[in-house]
Amino acid sequence: MIALVSVSVSHYLVVGAILFVTGVICMATKRNSLGVLMGVELVLNGANLNFIAFGSSYLRANSLGLDGQLMSLFVIVLAAAEAAVALAIALNFYNNHSTIDVDQASDLKG
Amino acid sequence: MNLHELVNELIFDTKDKSLGMFMPELCLCATIVLLLLIRLFKAGQQVDLFWVVLAGTGAAVLCASPWTHLGSAPAVPVVRTEIFTGMLVYDPFTVFMRAILIGFAFLFAIFTKLSGIPDREDGADIYTLVLGSTLGMCLMASANHLLMVFMAVEMASVPSYALAGMLKGRRVGSEAALKYSVYGAGAAGVMLYGISLVAGLLNTVHMPTMAAQLAERLPTMPSGEAMVLAVGGLMIMVGLAFKLSAVPFHFWCPDVFEGACAEVNAFLSIASKAAALALLVRVAIGFGAIPPEARHTQQVASAEIGSRGLFAVADDEHPKEDTAKSNGDAAHGHSEGEAPHAVSGTPNENLAGSRFFMAKLIAFLAAITCTFGNLAAYGQTNIKRLLAYSTIAHAGYMMMAVPAMLVMAGDAPLRAQAAVSALAIYIGIYLFMNLGVFAIVAFLRNALRTEEIADYAGLIRRCPFTVVCFVLILFSLVGLPPLAGFIGKFAIFASLAEGWTVSGYTAHFLIVLLVVGGMNTAISLFYYLRIARVMVIEDEPADRQPFVYPEVSLQGAFVCLLTAPAVLLIFDWETLSQWAQAATQYLLVAA
Amino acid sequence: MMLLAAEVAPSFWHGFFFVFFALLTCGFALGVLFSNNIVRMAFYLVLSLGASAGLFFLAGAEFVGAMQLMIYVGGTLVLLIFGVMLTAQSRFISMKTPSGEWVLGVAVGGCLLLLLLSVAFQVKDWRTPRGKGGLSLEDSKTSSQIGMAFTGVRVDKLDQKNEQLAGGMSGYLLPFVIVSVHLLVVLVGAAYMARTKRRATATGAVG
Repeated sequence: MIALVSVSVSHYLVVGAILFVTGVICMATKRNSLGVLMGVELVLNGANLNFIAFGSSYLRANSLGLDGQLMSLFVIVLAAAEAAVALAIALNFYNNHSTIDVDQASDLKG
Repeated sequence: MNLHELVNELIFDTKDKSLGMFMPELCLCATIVLLLLIRLFKAGQQVDLFWVVLAGTGAAVLCASPWTHLGSAPAVPVVRTEIFTGMLVYDPFTVFMRAILIGFAFLFAIFTKLSGIPDREDGADIYTLVLGSTLGMCLMASANHLLMVFMAVEMASVPSYALAGMLKGRRVGSEAALKYSVYGAGAAGVMLYGISLVAGLLNTVHMPTMAAQLAERLPTMPSGEAMVLAVGGLMIMVGLAFKLSAVPFHFWCPDVFEGACAEVNAFLSIASKAAALALLVRVAIGFGAIPPEARHTQQVASAEIGSRGLFAVADDEHPKEDTAKSNGDAAHGHSEGEAPHAVSGTPNENLAGSRFFMAKLIAFLAAITCTFGNLAAYGQTNIKRLLAYSTIAHAGYMMMAVPAMLVMAGDAPLRAQAAVSALAIYIGIYLFMNLGVFAIVAFLRNALRTEEIADYAGLIRRCPFTVVCFVLILFSLVGLPPLAGFIGKFAIFASLAEGWTVSGYTAHFLIVLLVVGGMNTAISLFYYLRIARVMVIEDEPADRQPFVYPEVSLQGAFVCLLTAPAVLLIFDWETLSQWAQAATQYLLVAA
Repeated sequence: MMLLAAEVAPSFWHGFFFVFFALLTCGFALGVLFSNNIVRMAFYLVLSLGASAGLFFLAGAEFVGAMQLMIYVGGTLVLLIFGVMLTAQSRFISMKTPSGEWVLGVAVGGCLLLLLLSVAFQVKDWRTPRGKGGLSLEDSKTSSQIGMAFTGVRVDKLDQKNEQLAGGMSGYLLPFVIVSVHLLVVLVGAAYMARTKRRATATGAVG
C-alpha cells in the first residue's frame, strides 16, 4: 500500500540517511579495516543518493538540475581513488603488523 | 542565448581568461607528469629527480609571481575574476595563498634533500604525492564551487594519507597512515553529506550564487529550512575542522605526527593547515557574504561576446588587451543590473544571521582547539607529538581571525578584510617557524637517532648554533615580542578587539576569545620553555652515543635561512603586512 | 487485484519499484552492518550498491546509474574483494565487535538517524511529490547534457528560467581534467604503499 504514495525527494533522503548512518556505525564499530572502508563506501553512496534526488526533475519542479548528477559522478570517481589508496595502506598495515584489526593499531596512544 | 554562444563563451573563458591565471597549477601538473616520464627511460633513472621537482616548483613560483601582483604598488594588479566558468576564483587572496603553498613546496623539496628522507629510490613517488597534494591545496585556496571544495579536499588529503606512511617498513608509520586514511575518509564522507543537503536546499552548487540565494531566502526562511541549513553547515564544518585538526576532530593529529617522519609533519602542519584556513575563509564568505561584483562576471562577459558573435573568439587582441579592464566593465554592468534587485535590505544585511551563526561556531571551536592543544602539549615527552599539539593550538589561534572577519563583514567590510590579512600575516610567519622547527627536529634525528625531548639534554654544548636557532624559533612560536611570532599574534588579537568595537561592543564572544587567546599564550610559554631548558640547562646524559652534527653545513645554512625571518622580520614587517593587505582586497569589497 | 488491472497508473509502478529498490538498498546496507563475516559483508555491499543504482534509474539519472554499476560495483568492489582475498586468513574472516562498542555505536547512530530523518521532511519543496503533467520526455535525456557539461558547456542553462541560478551553472571542464591528475597521483601513491621496499633503508630513519 505504501507503493501507492507518490515518491518525493524526502523518500529518497530517508534512504540516503539510512545508508549514511549505517556507514557511520560501520566505520565506528567494525574491527576489520576493510569493513571500515566498506562503511566509507556506504556513507558516500548515501550522499550520492541525495545528490541524485535533489537533481531529479522527476521528483520536483525546481531542482538542483544537472549539477546533482555531475556531482555524484565525480564523487563516484573520487571514492574509487580513495578506496584504492586506503586499501593499499591497509595492505601495508597488514604486512607490518600481520593483522588487519584496527583495534590492534595501538602502538600510538590515541 | 543559444548553444553557439555558450560554446563561444566557453572558448573565451578557458583559452583567454582562465588558463593564464592557472599557470602555476599547470606547472605542478607538468612536473608530476615529467616525474613519471623521466623514469621510463634508462638514462632518466640516473637523474636525481629532486632537481626536476626543484625546477618545477621554482617555475610554478615564478608563474605565480606574487611580487608583481601584491604589495603597495603592484605591477600587475589582480582583480577578482571567476575562472573556468565559476569553478575557481582568482583574486589577490588566491595569489597570496598559492605563493605560500607552492613556495613551501619549493622549500620542502630542499628540506627533504638535506635530510635524506625520502631516499633516491622512493623520491620520485614521494615527490609525486607531495606535488599532487600541493595541487589540491592550491585548489582549496581558490575554490568557488562546492564540487571544487570537496574535490580539492580529497586531492589534498588522499596523497597525504600515503605520505603519512612514507616509511613503509615501520610499524608506527603504517599505523599512522591507516588511522589518518580511515578518519579522513569518514570526515570527507560527512562533509559530502552536508554539501548535498545545502546544495539541495539552495538548488545550486556555485558558492556566490548560493550566497545570493541565501540572501533572498533567509529573511523569510521557515525554521525547518533553517534547521536543514544548520545541519548541512555543521556537517561541512566537520570536514573542515578535520583538515584544520580543530578539537574535537583533532584526535588523528598527534598519532599521525608521531608515526610519520618529521618531513611529512612539516608538510601536514604547514601546507595542509594553510590550505584548510584559506578554504575556511572561502566557505565562510560563501555562506556569509555576497562577493563583490562576482556573480555574473562570466555572464556579462559572455553577453559581450554574444553581441559580437564569433569574431570575439577569432579576434585575439581584445581579450588579451587587458583582462582587468574587461572585468572592471563587467563589474560595472553587474552593479547596474543588480540595482532593482534589492528589495528588502541589502543582501549582505540579510545574511547577518548566517554570519553570526558561523562566527559563534568557529569562535567556539577556536577557543577549545587552542586551549586543548596547549594543555595537552604540556605533558608530552616526544618532540613530534608535542609539536602536533602545538600545531593544533596554532590552528586555534589562526581560526580566531575568521569570526572577527565574519562579525565585521556586514558593517565594516574593509576592516573585515584586515582581519583576514592578519590571518595571512600569521600564515606567512608560521610557515618559516614551523618549517624551521621540523627541519631542526629532522636533522637532530639524523644525528642522534632519537625524537625524545629528554635526549636533547645539554645539546647546547654540542651544537650551540642549532640550539640557539631552535630556542629562537620556539620563543617566536610563543609570540614573545621582538620575534616574528609576536607580529602574527598581535595582528590576530587586534582584529578580535576591532571586531568587538565594530559590533558596537555587543559581540562579547570576541572578547572572550581574546582573553582565551591571551591566556593560552601564557600557558604555551611553559612547554616551549621546557624544551629550551632541557637543551640549555640540563647536563648531557652520560650514556649518549657519540654523534656527528656538523653545524657548518648546508643543513646549518638551511636552518639559518629559516630562523632569519623569525628574528629579523620585526625590522621590516611592513612589507609582509602590505602583501597581506593587498592579498585580502576584493574579498568583500569591490575595487 | 489492482496489480493486474490494465489501467494502473504509471506512478504506481514508479512507487512500487522505488519501495522495492529502497528496501533492498537499506536491507543489504544493514546486512553489511550486522554481519561479522568480511566476505558476506563485501557481498551485501555489492547488492546494496547495485540496488541503489536502481534508485538512480528511477530518479531519471540513467547515466549515473550505469556508472554506479560499472565503476562502483564493477571496480571499487573488485578492489575491496581483492583486499579481502589478500588478507583472508581464518582469524580475520569473522571478527566480532565488542558489545559495548555496539551499544554506543547504535545509540549515537540512532540519534544521528533521527536527526537526518527529521531533516528529510523539513522542507516543503522536498516533501511534495511532483504532480502529474509538466514532465516531458525531454527531462529524461540527460546523457548528452552530461557529456556537454564535462566539456564545459552547460546546455541545460538554456532552459533555466531563474537568471540567478543560471549564473551559477558552471561547466565541469576543470574538474573533469584535474581529476585525471588526481587519479595519476593516487595510482602512484597506491603502488608505492602496496609494494615492498626492494632493499633496507640506508638513511637515518629511527627504528
